[in-house]
This record gives sequence, structure tokens and C-alpha cells, in this order.
Amino acid sequence: MAGPPARGGLGESEARRGGSGGPMQDAENVAAPEAAEERAEPGPQQPAAEPPGEEPARPEGPGAPEAADGENEEAEAGPGPEAPAEPAVDGEEAAAGATPGPSPPPPEEPPAAAEAEDEAPGEQAPAEQAGAEQARDAAAEARSDGDGAGGEQGGPSEDAVVAENGDADEPSFSDPEDFVDDVSEEELLGDVLKDRPQEADGIDSVIVVDSVPQVGPDRLDKLRNVIHKIFSKFGKITNDFYPEEEGKTKGYIFLEYASPAHALDAVKNADGYKLDKQHTFRVNLFTDFDKYMTISDEWDIPEKQPFKDLGNLRYWLEEPECRDQYSVIFESGDRTSIFWNDVKDPVSIEERARWTETYVRWSPKGTYLATFHQRGIALWGGEKFKQIQRFSHQGVQLIDFSPCERYLVTFSPLMDTQDDPQAIIIWDILTGQKKRGFHCESSAHWPIFKWSHDGKFFARMTLDTLSIYETPSMGLLDKKSLKISGIKDFSWSPGGNIIAFWVPEDKDIPARVTLMQLPSRQEIRVRNLFNVVDCKLHWQKNGDYLCVKVDRTPKGTQGVVTNFEIFRMREKQVPVDVVEMKEPIIAFAWEPNGSKFAVLHGEAPRISVSFYHVKSNGKIELIKMFDKQQANTIFWSPQGQFVVLAGLRSMNGALAFVDTSDCTVMNIAEHYMASDVEWDPTGRYVVTSVSWWSHKVDNAYWLWTFQGRLLQKNNKDRFCQLLWRPRPPTLLSQDQIKQIRKDLKKYSKIFEQKDRLSQSKASKELVERRRTMMEDFRKYRKMAQELYMEQKNERLELRGGVDTDELDSNVDDWEEETIEFFVTEEIIPLGSQE
Amino acid sequence: MGHTGAVWCVDADWDTKHVLTGSADNSCRLWDCETGKQLALLKTNSAVRTCGFDFGGNIIMFSTDKQMGYQCFVSFFDLRDPSQIDSNEPYMKIPCNDTKITSAVWGPLGECIIAGHESGELNQYSAKSGEVLVNVKEHSRQINDIQLSRDMTMFVTASKDNTAKLFDSTTLEHQKTFRTERPVNSAALSPNYDHVVLGGGQEAMDVTTTSTRIGKFEARFFHLAVEEEFGRVKGHFGPINSVAFHPDGKSYSSGGEDGYVRIHYFDPQYFEFEFEA
Repeated sequence: MAGPPARGGLGESEARRGGSGGPMQDAENVAAPEAAEERAEPGPQQPAAEPPGEEPARPEGPGAPEAADGENEEAEAGPGPEAPAEPAVDGEEAAAGATPGPSPPPPEEPPAAAEAEDEAPGEQAPAEQAGAEQARDAAAEARSDGDGAGGEQGGPSEDAVVAENGDADEPSFSDPEDFVDDVSEEELLGDVLKDRPQEADGIDSVIVVDSVPQVGPDRLDKLRNVIHKIFSKFGKITNDFYPEEEGKTKGYIFLEYASPAHALDAVKNADGYKLDKQHTFRVNLFTDFDKYMTISDEWDIPEKQPFKDLGNLRYWLEEPECRDQYSVIFESGDRTSIFWNDVKDPVSIEERARWTETYVRWSPKGTYLATFHQRGIALWGGEKFKQIQRFSHQGVQLIDFSPCERYLVTFSPLMDTQDDPQAIIIWDILTGQKKRGFHCESSAHWPIFKWSHDGKFFARMTLDTLSIYETPSMGLLDKKSLKISGIKDFSWSPGGNIIAFWVPEDKDIPARVTLMQLPSRQEIRVRNLFNVVDCKLHWQKNGDYLCVKVDRTPKGTQGVVTNFEIFRMREKQVPVDVVEMKEPIIAFAWEPNGSKFAVLHGEAPRISVSFYHVKSNGKIELIKMFDKQQANTIFWSPQGQFVVLAGLRSMNGALAFVDTSDCTVMNIAEHYMASDVEWDPTGRYVVTSVSWWSHKVDNAYWLWTFQGRLLQKNNKDRFCQLLWRPRPPTLLSQDQIKQIRKDLKKYSKIFEQKDRLSQSKASKELVERRRTMMEDFRKYRKMAQELYMEQKNERLELRGGVDTDELDSNVDDWEEETIEFFVTEEIIPLGSQE
Repeated sequence: MGHTGAVWCVDADWDTKHVLTGSADNSCRLWDCETGKQLALLKTNSAVRTCGFDFGGNIIMFSTDKQMGYQCFVSFFDLRDPSQIDSNEPYMKIPCNDTKITSAVWGPLGECIIAGHESGELNQYSAKSGEVLVNVKEHSRQINDIQLSRDMTMFVTASKDNTAKLFDSTTLEHQKTFRTERPVNSAALSPNYDHVVLGGGQEAMDVTTTSTRIGKFEARFFHLAVEEEFGRVKGHFGPINSVAFHPDGKSYSSGGEDGYVRIHYFDPQYFEFEFEA
């Protein structure tokens, strides 16, 4: 039994790869007719072949796996144009053989077809008999015409038949013994025959199930029942076959469904079904036999893929003016543009219609732009934003990049099935290959998988469990998850492979925040907390500090008190200091590159912002508090020091630009109904925007300097989203950065010079543009007025000689009268009233 | 006596003897301006949207809405031929099957009319043959208003597509575009400066959901040549439906959905203002 074990060993995905990797084999099958016979061999070995009425010798054979492989586009693209073309042609020819085409069928075909017919049992038999009968009737008719040399059917063979029969004296309807029926049925009733069932009909609906319990006749009925129960979920089973040997079933069975779709469904969903401990079903399509049979035992060295030169994917960093790029989605998502940010006007780089179906995402270092499509994710990059990679994931909704840009995590609510986890898929970005699939019940807390800062690990939390996986194997770290009963939340340090997680109180055991080193799983700090309502973990961007915001209800008090537990990660044993606040907390944010943090607290309309500084001795100092703020969100500049406090949406888009080095408010402004604030990656500019997704009018994005000076108002029809293209971390060492800071004055002189130049150039350009516009307009007016003057007489004529060209054209005619009229009107009544 | 439905349009002839009004009561009426006496009543099948006297004041034109199964038509009557009025038989009736006329004016010298359509198209129809002389489509949405310059050589259109545009009256060549963030209901050209004033705002339908601040019910002044805005006048708390300059160019007025007509006199700076060019 060569068939079943070979098949059993292959998973579906491998099968697919087999399809894509072995185009050669496919091509061979089709090209050589002998191959068809070889393929037929497993059939006779399979007793199964008889009852379902399917004969493995079928000319279309190779076409079927192709069809089943339809999803796999690489299979078609891979092997070059000739190979797939051949099966198609052959298939067509085979079909043509059965139909009464004008071109005679290829010589080999008719015998093969005839053979097939002879062998074809079951339902086809009556049809063929009927066909034969018709043929005989036709022959009889021809005979009854006497020796009519020109039977309607014509053709030399007919003549021969008639001639032979014509000699007979009495009407005998039996053929003479040496009669050879050499009229092919295609010739006689091709139009009927073309509709006859093909033996391959329905073969796509047959599945083979391996690892079925081997039972004797006494338990066969029970087995049938069980099998029926499991497999009729996918569609109506029209036929089954349980091969037997020595009174026991052989352990594999054949099932036929009403349609190939059901069979596919069964393969997809029942493969790997665990019946009991000993029996896990392996389900395959019957038509896949060929594919697996022809997989060579020898390992073929995969063909070397030609290197695709994508150009410099980081070209945008070499821009001489150090400008940044951003993406803009507008027209309610129909159009997506990429711009260079420029102080004067944005410079368009690329604009495409329907580039994405929902929104876009930049990868964390800015190399790729991801677009969303019903069928999956596409990545774009390089100077011309060419497509770099595609990831096929039906109905994808959410994605996440690993910080190292090696892996992409995609989520789709559509694809998951019990045995084939596909809700979340992790992909290798460079190769485009799927690394692993995961189940996922809810995407509510995206990202489900949180990455360590270097992309070496990723972790996910489920009930009482923290599962940490490692790359590139995508397997569980140390092959087991961590049991942490009650775990509520966790977070990776952005500065090292440390995980922080917290567990709420459980009866007498206090709530607990734990810092754990990985991969050693060593707990480096545990802090117990009491009367905890909720905790939130906030890492400073470098991982220097962790702030755990703890909402507590201390005994003997009413209401919630918030503690900010500040962990100093870089010091021995991780000392912790606490800031307590009695007011409700609206927002908290660390200064990205520094030791300050900002807190928005209070209740509208009495909202205050407080800035704290964590000193090197651990003391936490309140630097400044501003009250009466209109803000609900804190946006630190990526470089630190500067911060925008924004009252988004319901707070009408109030903006405050604060310099925290001396805590001065640099500017108070407003972008009415603003819904988003986005700092550029260098901290030079801020964009505020009103997205169509949250507000339907005045959709626009405004560009500000970090000090809050408004530079541009960019109105875009149904503007949706602006995202700055991130920059990879700087390659400069700390010393080099220090040196640059020291020499800042030297640089600033150069920049100021440049700015002045471009500014005067800009105003010059503006004036120049206006001048030409004025000039053009003047020319146009002159022309129009000349025409107007030419028509003067016509106008006069139309108005009975009265000149109405000027408001005072007729002054000469009735000047005095008018003036007197006005004077008397206005003065006399006044005088009389007095 | 008088109209029994909303009056959509009014026009006076050049010497202000007659006034023509069109109404949603399916009639167009001619009045004696001085006495207010109704001189003619022309019944129509649907509301009269636009009306006007030609340059000489002898021919009147009005257009009717596509409504209640009736087509949009432009009808022309020659007032010098009383039989046309008596029999309510225009000497010419142009059907506009595709898209209805939302605003129309007479072209210079009364040779043609210029009509703005619901689709944003502009058509120049001959007043003699009725044929389309020029067709342009520069606006993407309904044209709410057309106003000629004082010398009638050019006109400005106000459109729901948030822009107003300047065209040449003879060729219908597009000259300039003035952009705003709101639908423009009306636009008027200054008689003595290269200025245009635009009025509009959030559509009345949507006003309930937005504050006056978001409605932007402001009159906005643009320079004709450079297309740049140089002034704004606030005051209305509903969309502005119509704007007009005083014939001497020293003041302008605006009528709003809020029920107010505001008359504004320009500051001295207005007359001194010039763009740096």
C-alpha cells in the first residue's frame, strides 16, 4: 500500500508547497500519455476504485489538482509560462475528443476513450447502451432505405454497412458474425454524447480518510455511524467505501460528497480530527493522489530565486534637506498620498487611488508602508513605492510589526478554524512566508502579541498564563508557558528583555507587580500593593523608568487615590518611589528621552497639568503645575522637552505648546474639532488634524512648528489620516550627539542663512506669481473692454439711445434736476419737522 | 392678489418700469413698478426658478423646475407682441431634459442667456434659435447663482462645490476660481474694483447639528486677479443666501437664512488695500 502512508504524512500546507515546488512533475504527467497509465496504478491497488464508480484513468487528471490548487498563485507564476499551458491545452483536447468538433480527434484518443467507456461501470452503462441502440436503429433505417447509396449519415463506413446488409434476403436485424462496427459513436451522436457523464465527474468530491479504526464486521455499522456523524457536517455523503482485508477494515475509507466544495471543506476541517487517543484522522482529496505519488523521493535542490533588487529602501533618509515624509489618506479613503514635509507647501511624491481599502501603517523603522486589502496585506517601499511583499490573509483587520521589522503579525476574524489556527498569522517579511498561525478569540486588546524591543521574543497573555515565544523558531520559550494565576496585564521594557506584569489581590495575598528578566525568567523585582483597583504600566521610551499607575481605595477613605510607583530600572535592585494624587487622572506620559513625566488630572472644567522630574537621587520633584487646562491628551515631542497638551474632539481642539525645560507655555492655539496630533519623528513639527473618521466637516491637517507657530492649513476633501514615516534609530554615538549639541551655534548660523534665503525666495515667488496673474487678468480685461466698446452702438440702440454704460453716464442730461431732487428730499422735510 | 407661493426670483428692466417675478405657485408675473399693478400672469406647470429681462427690456425669459413630472423649460416672451402674453404662448420654449436650470441670466445685448445647471454645467442658449451655443462644465455640483459684472462682459458663478468661478460672458471661458470650505450660495462682482464677494455656509439642512462657528456664515472677499482672500465679514448666524454690491461699490449687502439682510459700508482701508505685486 504505497498510497495511504505517503499521503498520510503530508499536511495540507506542505501539499500546497508540493504543488508550487513541483511544477515539473505536473507537466510530466500531462505531457506523456504513459504517465496517465502509471497514475492509474494506484487505482487497481485501491479496491476503492470500483464502488464509487470512479476510474483513476482519466485524461483530465492533472487538471484537477491544478484546480484544487487554485488559491496558490505561486504555482501558476512559478514554473514559467510553458508548463501550466500544457495541461490546459491537453485538457481541452481531451474535451474536444468527446465533442463532435470539426477537427478529427488525435489518433490515440479514440481507443483510449473507448476503453474507458467499456470499463466504465455504473450509471454510465445505460447511457452508452442507449447510445448503441440508437446507432443500431440508425443503421436499420439506413438499411430500410434499401440499397440507398447515399445514406443521410453519409461517409464510406455507412456505405459499407448498407452494402453488406443489402445482400441479405430476409430482414435480419442481427449483425453478421464478421461485422465490425467501425462507426464511432462520436460520429453518430456526438451531440448527445458530449453531455454524457464523464467518469471524472464527481472524482473531485471523493476524500480519503486515513487512521480510521480497524474493525470487524460486528462493529462496522457502529463505525459507519460515527464516520457519518463526523463527515456529514461538511455536506451530504453520497457514497462510502470501507475496504476490508481478512474480515477487518483496512483503516482507511473513501467518502464521496455531493459536490467538490464539500470535499474540500471536509479536507480543510476534518484533517487532524482526533477520534480518540490512537486515531487522528488524516483527510485528503482523492484527486491529490497523483500529486503525492509523483513527489520524488529524492530531494531536489530548490531553484535559486533571482535576487530582486529593490533599490535603497532607506533612500528617504538621504534627503539633503532632512525633510520627513508622511502619508495622507483622503477622499474618505479612496486616495492615498505620500508627501515630503516642507515648510512652504507639502511636496507630493506619490498619489494613488484605492491604494488601501481601510488605512495604512508604516513599519517601525519606516522601511515599509503597509496597505490593507480584503485578501491580505501589501508592503510598499523604495523610491517609487513599489510593491515589496504580499501576505495573503482573508479579511485582515489589524497588523503589528516586530520592532526589528523582521516579522509581521496579522489578524483576521474570518479565517480561524479549530484545527488550523489562522486568526493571527506571523509572517517573515523578507521571504513572505507564514511562520506560524495562532488562534484568537477576541482582538479587543490589540496587539495580542507584544514584542520585546529587539524582536527576539513575543508574548501573549491568556487566562492565568503568560506565553513567551522566541524567534525565529516561533516556538514557546523553553517549551512551556508561565502560569501566573490572575495575571491582568503585562508589558515589555523598551530598553531590555524585561517583562513587567501585575496580578490583582486574591483574598489575603496582596496585588503584585513583578519585573522578570528573560530568557532566564528571573524575577528581578516584586512589589506588593494593597487595596488595588487597577494598574497601568507605563514604560519610559528608553526603558530607564517604569511607572505603574495604581488606582487604590485605601481603607477608611472614600474614593479612589492614584499612586504613581516609579521604578528606576537602571539602578541596583530597582528602587521605587511613589507620587500620590487624590484627583482623577486623565492622562499620564513620560518624556521619551528624559526623566520627566506629565500628568493631566482633575475634572472638567478644572483640569490641571503637572510636570514632575525624577532626580538622580530618586527624589521626584514637581516642577510646575498649570491649572485650568483644556486638555485630555499629552503629546511629548519624540526628542523630549517640548509637549503639546491637546483637548481633542469634545474639547474642541484646544492646543497648548509647552517647553518643559523652563516650563513656559510657548503658545495657546486651537484647531477646531481636532481629532489627532502627530509629532514628526524629529520633533521639529507637529500636525493636528480633523479626521473624517471622527468628524465630517472641515477635514484638514495643519502643520505647526514645535513652538506652536502655525505654518500650513491643508484642507483635504474627506481627509482621514496622516502618519509620519518613522525614522530608524540614529547611528550616531552618544559622544557624537554631544559634540553636535556643543556646536549647535555653528550649525544654526548655516541653517538660519538657508532659511532666510528660502524665505525671501518664497516671497519673491509669491510676488512674481501674483504679478503674472495680475498681468494676465489685465490683458483679458483689456480685450473684453475693447469688445465692449465696439458694441456701444448696439447697446444704445437697444435702450432707445440712452447711454447706461456708466453709473453717471447721463450726468450731462439731468444733472441739475437730480441734485436738486436730492437736496430738497433730504433737507426740506427735516426743516419742516423742526 | 399676488403670488401664493414662495417667490424665487425677481428682476427689473433697465429703466425700472417693469418688474418680473417668478414663484413656486407655478406662475410668472409682470408688474408695473411704480403702481404695483399686475400687468401679466403667465401660468406654468411647475415652480418658476429664474426670470429676467433682456438688455433692451423687451423680451422676458423664465425657467421652470423639473417637478411633478414636468420638464425643466426656458420660456421666452416678446412683450412687444401682446398676443404672446394673452395666449400664454411663448415664442420659444427650450426643454432642458438632462439637468434642471438652477440659475440663469441674460447675456450681453440680449442675444443669449447663460444658464447654470444642477449638475454644475453652464450653457449658453441662443435667445433666437434656442440652440446651445456653448457648454462648459467647470463646477462639480449645482450652480446656485450667476451674477454679471457691471459691463456684462464677465460673470461669476457660485456653486455648491465650495467654489465661485469667473467666466467670460461671450465665450464662457473659465478665468478664475475662488475656493472656500463651504458651499457658496451667492457671489457678486464689485462695480469698480477687481473684487468679488462670496456668501454661503453650511447647508441649512446640516445647520442644526453644527454651531455658527462651524457653519462659517461669513461674507468673504477675494481679489479677482490673484484669487486670494483679503477680507471676511462675520455677522450672519445662518447661511448667506444672496450677496450684492451697491452700484457705487461703496457698500454691499447680504441676505441670510437667519432672516436678516445686513448692509455693510466699507472701511477706508478697503479702498486702499492692494496686494503686494
